[in-house]
Amino acid sequence: MSTGGTGAARLQLEGVSKRFGGLQVFKDITFEIPPGDLLGVIGPNGAGKTTLINVISGNLPPTQGRILLGKQNVTGKPVYAMSRMGVVRSFQQTNVFRNASVRENLARALRFSGAEGGSWRGIAELLEALGLAARLEEPAEKLPYGLQKMLGLMMAYATSPKVLLLDEPAAGLERRERARVDALIDHARNALGCAVLLVEHDMELIRRICPRIMVLEAGSVIAAGAPDEVLSRPDVIEAYLGPGDSEGP
Amino acid sequence: MHGIISAGIIGIGLGAQYALLALGFTLIFGVLGVVNFAHGGFYVLGGYVGYWAVSSAGLPYPVAVLAAVVATAALGYLFELVFVERFVDEQLATMMLTVGLYLVMSTGVLAGFGPEPADFAFPVTGSWHGGGFFIPWANLIVLGVCVLAIAAVYLVLYRTDLGRALRALADDRPVARAQGIRPHLLFPLAFALATGLAGLTGAVVTPILTLSPHVGDSVLATSFMVVILGGLGSVTGSTVAAFVVGLIEAYSDVYLGGSKGALALFLLVLLILIAKPSGLFGREARRA
Repeated sequence: MSTGGTGAARLQLEGVSKRFGGLQVFKDITFEIPPGDLLGVIGPNGAGKTTLINVISGNLPPTQGRILLGKQNVTGKPVYAMSRMGVVRSFQQTNVFRNASVRENLARALRFSGAEGGSWRGIAELLEALGLAARLEEPAEKLPYGLQKMLGLMMAYATSPKVLLLDEPAAGLERRERARVDALIDHARNALGCAVLLVEHDMELIRRICPRIMVLEAGSVIAAGAPDEVLSRPDVIEAYLGPGDSEGP
Repeated sequence: MHGIISAGIIGIGLGAQYALLALGFTLIFGVLGVVNFAHGGFYVLGGYVGYWAVSSAGLPYPVAVLAAVVATAALGYLFELVFVERFVDEQLATMMLTVGLYLVMSTGVLAGFGPEPADFAFPVTGSWHGGGFFIPWANLIVLGVCVLAIAAVYLVLYRTDLGRALRALADDRPVARAQGIRPHLLFPLAFALATGLAGLTGAVVTPILTLSPHVGDSVLATSFMVVILGGLGSVTGSTVAAFVVGLIEAYSDVYLGGSKGALALFLLVLLILIAKPSGLFGREARRA
């Protein structure tokens, strides 16, 4: 694993909470992801995983706590500012400019992010691996769903992020396409030294690539550690499948 | 044969004027999602700033045109920044704001210059004679200015980072924000670009047509028709539709006469919209 390039930075959350009126979405979340590291976040639907990404990426302000990028306090910064500082997210659904070509989508990502290292040469290898290299001139809306999703991930990667927040990147993908998600995360960690936070329901993917995971349940962290150890815990199994089921997630 | 060619030239001239107006109108709608009911007001204001600069300040006509562009762009920028910005996602509020601005502008012009048409004449007279045609130099110059301005708009939109960012915002605002684009920095710029175009059109076109406080009404109606025909928010659609409308208007006017021509124009536009409700280049529903 790389320890990060010159643009790498550590993501740190200190006691971050989010509340919508009377609804506590999550509370007192604390973790850190060093440059080049990967943290998987799992949990049942409604646990607060996507809201956590929304808060870190600047789509929503936290109710409490601090978010640090390196030594800089970035708590509550708006999404465009976070993006320019290198905290970039993907969405559960496709997040591409549907009217524009694949090339234009990527050109916008390279240009707007203000990424120092962003260049076509830097993304060429990954474009090939993700199956997009031969389809640069096609309108994004004409791509099959899986490739639209790859394009969205590629756009996030093209900004040369310091922190990559991936919200269920494998959702809706065919089995053979999921290996492309592995390739993207590997590139982000090793070539960019990027700190990656991965929210995912695909346990195969989680077990395969995450050195450590965190389990959110009803807004609280109920377990954290190595995947095999965490996923065999009875409280995690119960959180996913309900009481009385012996099969793990 | 001469009649056909003459009507074609008139139609292209009208189309170029409509294109400039519609580009601004569609730019504001595309980028901000706001229907600017004050667009005709900026056209009128551009005409009156030009008129005042020539007749009262004694400035040469080209400088007066420049002053009109700067004044309308500056007003558009400030209006967006102070008023539209905070209600940009509320369609009813922005509609009321822009309608209100139009009323203020037309009433202000009425109070300042009176209800009579202003004596704002184009500084170049005479006609070009050739091949049996007589075309006023003023019309040719206005056509040239409009075509250059349209080319400049395309250059900005498709060859600069500002244009790329504006198109990204028009395509999908959340995705653009996630890519680091700051909408609230670009909204006033888009508004200023659009109102500056309306001001330019007013300053160059009103001397060859007419300048009075309420000419903005028909300008708004025509801009509306053009952008709906082209497809709301589509830059290419607006440009093509502007020339389609200009040519239909010119030919129907020549061959059918005034009121029948206008009726034919609306009927043809209606038929096109029945066949393609989203407009010539429009999508079924606007995203963002």
